[in-house]
Formats: sequence, C-alpha cells, structure tokens
Amino acid sequence: MTFVSFFFILASLLSFVVAQLILKRAMVSTAQSGFRNLRFVSRVAIGVFLMTISFFLTLGLLQRFDLSYLYPFQGLSVIIITVMAAFILKEKLTLQLTIGALLISAGIVLVSLS
Amino acid sequence: MTQQPKRNQPFGFGNPWLQLALSVVCVLVSELLLKRGATDIADLQSAWSWTGINGLVSPLVWWAIILIVASFVSWLYVLRYIPLTIAFPLSRVVDVLVPFSCWIFLGEFISTLRWCGIALVVIGLALVAKPIARIEQRL
Repeated sequence: MTFVSFFFILASLLSFVVAQLILKRAMVSTAQSGFRNLRFVSRVAIGVFLMTISFFLTLGLLQRFDLSYLYPFQGLSVIIITVMAAFILKEKLTLQLTIGALLISAGIVLVSLS
Repeated sequence: MTQQPKRNQPFGFGNPWLQLALSVVCVLVSELLLKRGATDIADLQSAWSWTGINGLVSPLVWWAIILIVASFVSWLYVLRYIPLTIAFPLSRVVDVLVPFSCWIFLGEFISTLRWCGIALVVIGLALVAKPIARIEQRL
C-alpha cells in the first residue's frame, strides 16, 4: 500500500467519525434549544459536508482496491472513537477495549500486507 | 415459547428488529453496489478519481446512495426502540457478511492472510462493540 492510499483511507475514516460526533452534538442540543437556530443548522451542515467528503473518498478508493481489502479498515473508526473517548471524556481504557483495539490493529496490518 | 411484544413496540413492518435487519441488508447491498459502480467507471490515470466524484456517472452508485439513505432512516427508527448498546453490536454482523459477499458475489480472491486479518478485525469488533456503543452514547 502506498502512502497516498493510506492517507486517503485515514482521511475518509476521520471525516466520517468527526461528522458522526458533530451530528450527535447537534441532535443533543435540540433538546434545549430546538431546531430553529443557527448553531444547530451550522452543525448539521458541517456534519453532512464531512460525511459527503468521506463518501466520495471511499468511492475513489473503491476504484483502486478490492472491497474485501478496504472494508476491514473501517474497524479503525472504532480505535479512533476509543482514543477520542479517552481524550475528550477522560474514559479509562478497559481491558476489553484494549484487547479489542489490538486485535483490530493486528487484523488491519495482516489485511494491508495481503 | 413465543415472546410477547413489548408495550408500545410496533409490529409488522414497523417491528424494530425487522428494521434492524433491513438496515443491515441495505448497508451490505449498498457496499456491493458501490464497489461494482466504482469498478465500472474506474479511471486510474486521472488524479481527480481519488476524489471519487467521477463515480456519480454510474447508476449503480445512485442506487447505493438510495440504499444508504434507506439504511440511515431504518437505523434512526431502530434507535427509537432498541438501546444503542444492543442495536450497535447486532448491526456489526455486516462486518462478517461483507467479506463473504465480496467472495461470493464479486468474485474477489481473498488470500489466507487476508481471511486471517478479516477474522481478527471481526473478533476485535465483537469485543469492543458494546463498550463502544456506551461511549458513543456519552459522546
């Protein structure tokens, strides 16, 4: 795998995860401030924009790689969320999460070697 | 033993478990259609093809987009009735279905090394699915 393809795979995943988090924040905020405010609309717009970027990057990658090769990389999104939770929420990494993240990483290394 | 439907839980087409299954099937089929569509229009010489925008000329990609929207609507409906800590781990069944479908329907050659990698990822996802759903709920 080249550096360029790894960059696009990571960019596609990161934009997807960040979009999910922004959309989640937007929906949670509606409980207090409703739907008709600039903050909600701008959050949804940014979330949808990032998801669109992720979609097109995936489409570009699918032109070059097998789906069975690219799909396991989506497991990286779980690792990104785990890291974000540790930083943003100050969550402690449980043994289960750590072992799971290690297995996913090892699996992705094997797939990228294949 | 038959399970009684919970109070306020719709049945028939509105049954959240059926919607969860539909959501998974929509994701699976959309992935396969995206791959087929992308392969049909692949233009590896152009640097623009990295952006994937050229994929929009393929009708299969548009069908995939419709299925992605459908799966999203189903998923939102599921979340109204089933807790994320249950729905999310169950939805990961798609991680097993996608590689098998690549092999069966797309005819992709999956080497032993790749099968091993896929298996490790699936086991890892099964381990972290529930804690991750809990974290996502908090995020």
